[in-house]
Amino acid sequence: MIKAMYVHIPFCNNICSYCDFPKIYYQEDLIDKYLDTLNYELEKVYKKEMIDTIYIGGGTPSSLSLNQTIKLFEILKKVNKSKNIEFTIEANFDSITEKKLDLYKKYGINRISFGLETTCNKHLNFLNRTLSKKKVKQVIDYTKKQGIKNINIDLMYGMPKEKVDELEKDLDFILSLDITHISTYSLIIEEHTKLFINNIENIDEDLDYKMYEVIRKKLKENKFYQYEISNFSKKGYESRHNLTYWNNEEYYGIGLGASSYINNKRITNTRSINKYLEKKFIYTEEKLTIDDKCIYEMILGLRKIKGIKKEEFFKKYNCHIEEKFDIMNLKDKKLLEENNGYICIPQDKLYIQNEILLSFVGGSSNGKRK
Amino acid sequence: MQEFIRNFCIIAHIDHGKSTLADRILEKTNALDKRQMKDQLLDSMDIERERGITIKLNTVELTYNYKGQDYFLNLIDTPGHVDFSYEVSRSLAASEGALLVVDASQGIEAQTLANLYLALDNNLTIIPVINKIDLPNADVEKVTEELINLGFDKEDIVLTSAKTGQGVEKLLEKIIKIIPSPKGDSKKPLKALIFDSIFDPYKGIITSIRVVDGEIRNKDIILMMQTNAFYEVLSLSINTPKEKEVDVLKTGQVGYLYASIKSIEDVKVGDTITHKDNKCDKALLGYKPMKPTVYSGIYPIESNKFEDLRESLEKLKLNDAALTFEPETSTALGFGFRCGFLGLLHMEIIQERLEREFGIEIIATSPSVIYKVELTNGTTTLVDSPNKMPDKVKIKKTLEPYVKISIFSPKEYIGPIMELCQNKRGSFLNMDYLDEKRVTINYEMPLAEIVYDFFDKLKSYTKGYASFDYEVTDYKESSLVKMDILLNGEIVDALSLIVHKDFAYNRGKAIVAKLKEIIPRQLFEVPIQASIGSKIIARADIKAMRKNVLAKCYGGDVSRKKKLLEKQKAGKKKMKMLGSVEVPSEAFLSILKADEK
Repeated sequence: MIKAMYVHIPFCNNICSYCDFPKIYYQEDLIDKYLDTLNYELEKVYKKEMIDTIYIGGGTPSSLSLNQTIKLFEILKKVNKSKNIEFTIEANFDSITEKKLDLYKKYGINRISFGLETTCNKHLNFLNRTLSKKKVKQVIDYTKKQGIKNINIDLMYGMPKEKVDELEKDLDFILSLDITHISTYSLIIEEHTKLFINNIENIDEDLDYKMYEVIRKKLKENKFYQYEISNFSKKGYESRHNLTYWNNEEYYGIGLGASSYINNKRITNTRSINKYLEKKFIYTEEKLTIDDKCIYEMILGLRKIKGIKKEEFFKKYNCHIEEKFDIMNLKDKKLLEENNGYICIPQDKLYIQNEILLSFVGGSSNGKRK
Repeated sequence: MQEFIRNFCIIAHIDHGKSTLADRILEKTNALDKRQMKDQLLDSMDIERERGITIKLNTVELTYNYKGQDYFLNLIDTPGHVDFSYEVSRSLAASEGALLVVDASQGIEAQTLANLYLALDNNLTIIPVINKIDLPNADVEKVTEELINLGFDKEDIVLTSAKTGQGVEKLLEKIIKIIPSPKGDSKKPLKALIFDSIFDPYKGIITSIRVVDGEIRNKDIILMMQTNAFYEVLSLSINTPKEKEVDVLKTGQVGYLYASIKSIEDVKVGDTITHKDNKCDKALLGYKPMKPTVYSGIYPIESNKFEDLRESLEKLKLNDAALTFEPETSTALGFGFRCGFLGLLHMEIIQERLEREFGIEIIATSPSVIYKVELTNGTTTLVDSPNKMPDKVKIKKTLEPYVKISIFSPKEYIGPIMELCQNKRGSFLNMDYLDEKRVTINYEMPLAEIVYDFFDKLKSYTKGYASFDYEVTDYKESSLVKMDILLNGEIVDALSLIVHKDFAYNRGKAIVAKLKEIIPRQLFEVPIQASIGSKIIARADIKAMRKNVLAKCYGGDVSRKKKLLEKQKAGKKKMKMLGSVEVPSEAFLSILKADEK
């Protein structure tokens, strides 16, 4: 039973130097066509299930004009929403307005995820972003006034030459906003981005790790608890939508470059706007065997701090997690641990979790496709 | 026919235009039309074309009409590098003449001289050729003088530009006029020299032969005099440079022989072929086999490729008699071979050919020379691998091979070169000015120092202007010790090496630093240590891995994360597990490039 839906809005008024998500410069006439196509795709794939979480991501969804925003929400009216729905939209502080926030409220948005990334001008320039702290405060105040209390802020760290005290200042500022959720990860230099083309190098991994620990410590002191490798929240404010991913559950993904997991298939949509408008949606499709699903369960489930519930694993795959993977060996090496029926990555190994996840992929011993 | 045959080879320093000149000769003799020409036609191996050098010799028969008479010119290409002088001597033995090609802008180089003396030893008629006269910095006058100093007559010198083709016709004329036709007696029983053999994936073993006396025909039953193996000739051919089958090879001719030879062992380069039922009186002298001077361990990365590696080495040995190998075992690397090479370039070429032509991924350990160790019980043992070094208490004294090295360089680099040689335990012998700009500097130094990283250093100290040549002189007593490298507290036998006691500390430090650079961080901190006996002389620590995570959530695109992990996993499979440490294969040779500060 599918309970989650991701909707991608690729338009941006400004392209950040590190971004490798499907994105397009804002073009008035293109947006109408895009939304019509989105509508078509939704009608085609959506099987009228009751949906529990919707996440409108981008790009920059808040770059849409008021009318375009209304059009988007009208399209999404087709979706059967559960009473308790978590309905998130991404926004940035440059393009958001009180009127847009009013519309969000009107159409049932109850969670907003703001991209802030950094407050330091030097690093903002590097990321090709702008930010006014004053506006941030105003927007957050207004959002809360509107009754939207569940607010996430994205923080980025690990920009070249960033200092630990600059990161701490960012954290202090974000904490002063009194929000419910913080997502954070260090700068990744992806291929096909401006940064990659300019040969920007990653910061030293010791410093990167140190910054991660600074964040963990400071957020913990401020009653944000970490529930996933890069996500922190106040009690009860975990992103239910993102947990769908980490719990290896199925979800719809519609829009340019969106990913979905439907009927045992992992599908990625095309990143080409022309193809998308021609309604040639699908780019890749991976049909999963039970073994594949088990691998995904490990890769995704171990992102959660709590880890994977053994009982749940057995229920889902009808075999014990220890039969499928060499958990014992990893436990002996202190690369995994078991707490109250959950298998998880030890706190001090969180930041090297890929190294541990490698034991589950691409070899013959892990029961991958035969 | 015999009197119209000319067998000749070309000797030259690397990059003096030998292969290009060969190309032009092919063109002038209309062996190929322009359309079929590709550069360095005789260099048939990819490595040869890429590196711009010739490794294996290659022959071609050309027809040239001079004053109404067709002449058959057999051009035998030769390698220019010091490591391949064995191959050179093979082609010299199959020729009556040699073109001595000298670059008009560079002058005579060390290796050219060495090969010239080889050619003179073989009683060849030499035609001096000054090539690249089209270059703006060509100094024909100076090079002419150098050649005159070597005893050539000014009027015998031919000026060419292989690039433009200038002078090539004149050269062909000279070849016909000066180089004698092959001697030999066509009436005598067959006597032919095997001067090369190659393994062809379709046909099997093909040998290059030079008929000295008599003639050889299809269907003849032939005998290899050294190995006593006999075969029926299945086909004979010449290279024009397209392969052309012929019924007979006559006295003085050079060509290929194919005889469905089953055992690689039966064919020995240098052996004499005769008729089984009409033997010649005695075999040709053949070649003095070259002795390897450098040894290195070669191991397959995947241990199940051991037999494939053996087969590939056997095939390489077929036309590379100087290559030797025998099985050896390493705790770290498993089963492999201890291989002997003529020098460093030879070693690199073999390693590259194994990977390219035979598709076997290998790990090569750092090269070692052959040490002589006198034991307390009065016996002497030869040590070609650090791990064969006897226990310290049993050693009376150790000796290592020394070479006389001649370095040719513009004079402004004398200082840096001397500094380099001193650092390499060299002792200065003498220095000569070749002319007002260039010098030859002679040093005596341990061969092991040249094997180490001498070539790269010399190039960087002299901006690539200097070249060098060396010959092994003798063994000298030396204070040598075996140095071990420990990873995470365990000795890695494949990384051990023999060093001079006084240099051990610096080298240990450099190697440890280099390994730290090459071995990626692991889950735990890994100490790298260099030790002599039980004494640790250097240490560096690979820090524990701090970050390997994909923290970003790509809007539910989790296939991407799986792909990334699969890619990382594939990378890991290329590493070798040494104990609990993952080591990239290049680490084993990298200790050669460790820079001592």
